[in-house]
Formats: sequence, C-alpha cells, structure tokens
Amino acid sequence: MIINKLKLLLLIFLFSIIAHSQTDWVRWEKSDPDYKIPSETIKRQYDLSIQSIGDVVLKPVINAYWFFISDVDGDNCPFYPSCSSFLFTSIKQTNIFQGTLMFFDRFTRDTNIFERSSHYPFYGKHHFYDPVYLYTLDEDLIKIIPAGTQVKKIK
Amino acid sequence: MKIFIIQIIISTVVLAQSVDFNSPENIKLFADYLFCDHDYLRAIDEYEKYLNFFDNDTIRFKIALAFSLMDEHTNALKNFNKLSEASQLYQLSQIEELKSFFKLKLFPQLSSKVSEIHNLKSEYSLSADKILSISYLLNNYSIPAEKLFLAPFNDQEKPIVQNFYLRKTNPDYKSEILAGVYSAIIPGLGKIYTENYSDGITAFLITGIFSYLAYTNFEHRHLTRAWIFTVAGAGFYAGNIYGSVASAQIFNVKINFDFINDVNSFIEAKNYFIPEYDFCK
Repeated sequence: MIINKLKLLLLIFLFSIIAHSQTDWVRWEKSDPDYKIPSETIKRQYDLSIQSIGDVVLKPVINAYWFFISDVDGDNCPFYPSCSSFLFTSIKQTNIFQGTLMFFDRFTRDTNIFERSSHYPFYGKHHFYDPVYLYTLDEDLIKIIPAGTQVKKIK
Repeated sequence: MKIFIIQIIISTVVLAQSVDFNSPENIKLFADYLFCDHDYLRAIDEYEKYLNFFDNDTIRFKIALAFSLMDEHTNALKNFNKLSEASQLYQLSQIEELKSFFKLKLFPQLSSKVSEIHNLKSEYSLSADKILSISYLLNNYSIPAEKLFLAPFNDQEKPIVQNFYLRKTNPDYKSEILAGVYSAIIPGLGKIYTENYSDGITAFLITGIFSYLAYTNFEHRHLTRAWIFTVAGAGFYAGNIYGSVASAQIFNVKINFDFINDVNSFIEAKNYFIPEYDFCK
C-alpha cells in the first residue's frame, strides 16, 4: 500500500515537472535575422530650415555629404559626434568662422595615427567621446571626463 | 505518531506568539543591525520608532550619522542640531557638522562652526583646524600664509598638505597665448607644449604635407590644385593654432579637476580627521 502511494506521488511529481517544463507554447516560425551593427550615431537632421545666414550654405552642403557619402560609407568616424556632426554643431553653437576652425582642429585629431585611448573617454563600443563644448574657448562649459571612462549614450 | 505531530505543531504555534518584535529593545537591536549592515535608510526608520518610546541622544546621533553616510548632509545637519549641549556626543556632532558643511561647500558656515568649536574648548579643535585648512584649498577665498596653513598637521601629513598648498598657490598652468604663438611659429608645437604630443606631431605633418603639395603644384603651374591645397593648408594651419589655444585651456581645467580630486581623496582617506566609531564593534 505504501509502495503504491509512493509510486503515485512520484508519477504526480514527474507529471507536474513535465507539464511546466514546456513554456514556449508558440509554434516556432522562420525569423529574418539582421546582422547589421546598430549605428551609434545620432539620427541625421536632414531638414533645410534656415535659421541663420550660415544655414544657407552649410545645410545643403552637409545634407549632401551625409546623403551621398557618409550614409553610404557607414559609421566609420572613431569619434562621437562624427566630424560632420561636429562641424554642424560647432557652427550652430559659435559662428561659421570659429566653427570652421574647430572642424579643422577636429579633423587633425581624427587623422592622428598614434594612441588615442589615453586621451579620450569612450562612447558606446566603438567611439571616442569628443564633444563640441570642450573647444568653444568657454572655460565654464568644459567638463573633464577622465580618459578611459565609459560615457552614457545620449538618447 | 499523529498525536506527537499535533503536539509539536501546537507547541510551535503557542511559542511563536511569545516574542514581541515591536518592543523598544527589539526595535533598537534591529535598527543597530541595519545600521551596521549599511542599510541606513531603514535604520533611520527603526531608530525614529525607538525615539517614540525613549528620547536618547546616541540614537539621535546615529540618525544624523546615517544621513551623513548616505550623503544627505542637509538632513544630517538638521539632526545633529537636535543634540543637546549636555550630551556626551555633542562635541562629536559639532565635528560631524563640519564634515557636512565641507561636503555641501558651505565654507562661511564651516569657518564660523570652527570658531564655535574653539570657544567650546573641544577636544576636536585640532581636527576642526585641519578641516578648515583643507577647505581653503577648495574655495576661492584667500588662502592663509604657508606656516599658518600647515600648523595643525602632524609630520606625516605635512609633506602631502604642503604639496597641495603649492599646487593651489602656484598651479602648473599652461599659457593659452603662448600655446597659440608656438603653433603659429611651428605647427603643432603649441599642442606639444600642452602635452598633446601625438596631436602636435599630426598637426605638423598635415600642415606640412598640404604646404608642400601647394608649393609643388604652384611650381608646376597646376593653379587650381595649388589653390585647393593652399586653402586646405591654411585651414589646417589656422585650425592648429585654434586647437592649441583650446588644448591649453582644457589642460588648465584638467589641472584644477585633478587637484580637487586629489584633495578630496586625501580628506576621505583621513575620514575628515574624525575618529572612528565603535557602534558596530
């Protein structure tokens, strides 16, 4: 009698485990995997709204570069923001002359063939963080982030 | 067998009701456990429950200390102020208030609190003087003379604090104008001056290459290309001067940043010159 009760308990126990082990009640279907590395750069602002005199020349040139060259070439700039975004943002925050100088300086740093990881913090997995506010010559805007620190992604 | 099992169950239920978890002693025990386990927020709640039964200065001190350890210094100050002057922990609470003023960067209040501590003839007057001296390193008020500044510190601390004093009075800044001038004379030299060696060499190479390309194209009468390279070269040359000035500015800000970090690390390591407590031993 006791042995039969034990067998019954064991059966109930095994049945409940088997019943709960199957959690995926949805029929498996074919999936389309996407192997593209997600881009970490901010979305392009392709608008042509004119907010200042500099926008008349700047926006068409930058939009054309983004559309015909940069988006085709892919996310290759080692820095965040990318050099074109840096140019755009620096001209917006300062003026066309200062922004252009900042861009030439940024391009020089971009072509630096020597070690960079000891100078810049990281942004995401593949970029160095080099924001515009460091180079506007306004000391109050400069916030030091130690080299090698991981910076949180800006949404 | 059945009777035995029933007896065990009944006796367990009966005994389970005899412990009063809400008694003041048990509340205090639990609060002390939470405090020593660094669960300060819950410890504060339990200590405040205890205070409803008994008014106790040690408990008030622990509440204030818990706020301080959670970096909620405004609340810590409110609670330290509640301690009576007759309390044994009053002098300690004064020095803890100094720590809160330091962390909140309330340097005028810190200075007047140090005067109060001296008036009390507290055993912690020396610690107060040390905190006051260190606070001069982090504020923009005029720093006293070196001898007076170093006076409260012992022989072990003096070399470190003297180094901080020298870094505060004579910081190793780079001149932005000089960096720009250096880069104007030799492209990239301004960046080397501000210790950006690789950027300096790159700026020199790029400006040099574009200048050479412009020169050879002018020499061979390829005027269109020559002017393109000239404009690009001029842009990189001007950008390198601008970048050197910006680099010097960033260097100077970094000097201040590192200095503040070093001073804070030093005073944290010294626990703000406050003796360690034995609440959890």
